[in-house]
Amino acid sequence: MVEFLSFAFVQRALLTGILLGVTCAVLAFFVVLRRMAFVGVGLSHAALGGVAIGVVAGVSPLLSAAIFTTGVAWVIGWIGGRGEVSEDTAMGVFFPAAMALGVVLISLSPGYRQDLMGYLFGNILSVQPGEVPTLVALCGVALVLLGYFFKELLYMGVDEDAARAAGLPVEPLRYLLLTVLAVTIVAAMRLVGIVLVSAFVVIPAATGQALGRSLRAMMVVGVVSALISVVGGLWISWSWDLPSGAAIVLVSAGLFFVSLLVGRRI
Amino acid sequence: MNVPLPSPPAIRLDRVDVAFQGRPALEDVSFEVSAGSFVALLGPNGAGKSTCLKVILGLVRPDAGTVAVFGSPPARREYPVAYVPQRIVIPRGFPITVLDVVIMGRFGVLGVGRRPGAPDREQALAALSVVGLGDLARRRFQDLSGGQQQRVLIARALCGDPLLLLLDEPTAGLDSGARARFYALVCDLQHQKGLTVLCATHDLDVVGDHADRAILLNRTIRAAGPAGEVMDAATLNQAYAFPVDHAHG
Repeated sequence: MVEFLSFAFVQRALLTGILLGVTCAVLAFFVVLRRMAFVGVGLSHAALGGVAIGVVAGVSPLLSAAIFTTGVAWVIGWIGGRGEVSEDTAMGVFFPAAMALGVVLISLSPGYRQDLMGYLFGNILSVQPGEVPTLVALCGVALVLLGYFFKELLYMGVDEDAARAAGLPVEPLRYLLLTVLAVTIVAAMRLVGIVLVSAFVVIPAATGQALGRSLRAMMVVGVVSALISVVGGLWISWSWDLPSGAAIVLVSAGLFFVSLLVGRRI
Repeated sequence: MNVPLPSPPAIRLDRVDVAFQGRPALEDVSFEVSAGSFVALLGPNGAGKSTCLKVILGLVRPDAGTVAVFGSPPARREYPVAYVPQRIVIPRGFPITVLDVVIMGRFGVLGVGRRPGAPDREQALAALSVVGLGDLARRRFQDLSGGQQQRVLIARALCGDPLLLLLDEPTAGLDSGARARFYALVCDLQHQKGLTVLCATHDLDVVGDHADRAILLNRTIRAAGPAGEVMDAATLNQAYAFPVDHAHG
C-alpha cells in the first residue's frame, strides 16, 4: 500500500478520484430524489458526441464535451418544462442521436480510436498534472452550489409545485441542477468513463438509501461508500492490473449489494 | 392566533381566460373569496379547478383577465400563501421524515440560501402538534397512512404562517372517516387562525357541512353562492353533465 501511494500519478488519481467521487455521491442524492437516473445515463452517452466534436475541431475534448453535454441538458430541461414530452422521452431521443453523432465524427478521425477507450471506460491513473486544478475547481464549484441550494433542491425534489408556490426560483434551479449534472458527468468521465459514469451518479445514493435512516445519514453513507469505492477500486486496479474505472464501479456496486443485505437487518 | 385580516378580498379573479395549446381551460372566470372564509371549488374532472388554483398561485399566467391575491398580483403578493396538493410522491425507501417534510413549509419564508434553525424546527413541531401528529415527527413520511400524510402536508402549509390556504383535491383516495376528520381540521384552523381556505374538491357530501360558500366550475363559472344553494341537485347536474373535452384539471 505504501508503495502504491508513493507514486505521483497515483496521488493525483486519488485526489481527483476522491473529489469526483464525493461530488458524484452528493449529486446522486438529487438524481435519485428527482428520478433522473435515465437523464444521467443519457447525458453521459451524449458526452461522446461532445468528445468527438472536440476531436474533429481540434479543441480540448473535455471542454467541448462539457459545453455540448450542458447544451443537451438544457434542451432536455426546456422540452421537459414545456410539458408536451417528458424529460425521459426527450432524453430517449437525444441520447442515441448525440451518441450517433459521436460515432460518425470519430469514424472521420480514425487515428483517434485508441484514445477513445480512455473516454469510454475512464482511466483516472492517466490524469495529467495540468488537469488537476481544473477537476478540483469543477468539483469545488459543484459541491458549493449543491450545498448552498440544498434545501431548495430538496423541496423541489419532494414537491415542485409547492416549492414554486413558496416563491423559490424553481426554473433557474432546475437548469442549475442539470448543468451541475452535465459538467460533473463530463469531469467524472476521467474517473470511470462514459459507459460507467451514470452508475456513479446513482449507486452511492442507492447505498445511502439502503442504510441511512435519515437524509443526513443517507448522504453520509453515500459519500463514504463513494470514497471506499474510489480508494478500494484504485488499489484493486493497481494490485491486479485491472481497468481502474471498472474496478471502482464494481466496488461501488458490491457495497450497494452489501448495504441491501445489511440494511434489512438494521 | 388570530391575525388581523387585510381589507381587500383574499382572492379576486376578473374575467380570466386560460388556454393550453389552443384548448380553453378557463373562460371568463370571475369570482371573489372573502378573507377568512372557507370556499369549496367544485366541478367535474377537467373542469379547470387545478388550473384555477395555479392561476391564483401565479404558476399559470392567464391569457386574459386579472388576478389579485389580497389586492396584489400573485407574483408580487405580500401575504404568504400555502398550497396543499393531492399527494406528494417520494421515491420508495427515500428516508425523508415527517419533520423533514413539515419544515419545508419554512423554506419560502427563509428565502434562498438560508438554512432552517432551531426556531424553524420548533415551529414545524408545533404545526405537527396542531394537526395531531406531534408524536410522529421522526417517522418516515412514507410509512404514514394517506390521511396522516395529508395532515402532514397541512402542517407543512401552516409552518409558513399563511393567510391563504389552497387545497387541490386533498382527500382523494381517503376513506369517508378520514375525509370527515380532514375537513373538520381545516375548518378548525380556518376559525382559530383566521385562514382563508379555497379547496378544490369532489367531496360534495362532506364539504357542505364545512364550507361557507361554493363555486361550481366547468371551464366557466356555473354557480356561486352559499354552499347549500350551489349544491342543489339541479345545479350540480347541470354542471357535471357538461361534456369535458380537454385534459387540464
